[in-house]
Amino acid sequence: MPHNRNKLYSILLIACIAGYIWLYYSITSNVSGNNKTAEVCLIKHATNIPCPSCGSTRSIISLTKGNFVEAVNINPIGYIVAFIMLIAPVWIISDLILKNNSLFRCYQIIESHLKKPKYAIPLILLVIINWFWNIKKGL
Amino acid sequence: MDAQKVDMFLMSNSKFFESHQMNMIRERLIAHDDSKWPMLSTIQFNDPTTSLIVSILAGSLGIDRFIIGDSGLGIGKLLTCGGFGIWTIVDWFLIQKATREKNMSKIQQFLY
Repeated sequence: MPHNRNKLYSILLIACIAGYIWLYYSITSNVSGNNKTAEVCLIKHATNIPCPSCGSTRSIISLTKGNFVEAVNINPIGYIVAFIMLIAPVWIISDLILKNNSLFRCYQIIESHLKKPKYAIPLILLVIINWFWNIKKGL
Repeated sequence: MDAQKVDMFLMSNSKFFESHQMNMIRERLIAHDDSKWPMLSTIQFNDPTTSLIVSILAGSLGIDRFIIGDSGLGIGKLLTCGGFGIWTIVDWFLIQKATREKNMSKIQQFLY
């Protein structure tokens, strides 16, 4: 869908903003009542089985507290999401200021690389392994 | 290309494209010569109905986006539990149009 740079940047910015709002909401609701985060995963709602990225919010929260090992144990995908949420806004804003499209080109290169089976299949296997680990942990 | 061949192609592949683009596709294909016909008949288009079914059943995992070839958006959907569920529901409605647009871009190389 993102055929041009502005669409991609606006999608990423909206996603990052939504992510930060969600993170803020999760941290404040965690602090006030020690209640767990709200359930957003449709799969978990419907079938009681967690999806591969269930627990990523909890993982990022433990990263903000400094527990790197605990973040891996809850869900390693939290690292990827945290990385993207940190890097993407900075890169997008620097691209907008410099009137560049380096992020867009990087995105297209990565996308064309990941489509190839020799990269796609190990990644899919990693996701499935993470999924089974989530189910085993009972997230 | 032969008008009859083009009409047959369009009849069998009409569900893969948006309705308002069919006319343009027909005119451009007829205006072309026959050299690209073998390649044209071997392209695999994505069925919008299939991607809709996949989206409803496994939309949270982003599989529907991966199928139409939007790997980046698919990864984003996967990492965020289907965009907090919101993107999953939005994609139930968007995925058919997105599939048809992807098919359109696949056939673009034969239209010009």
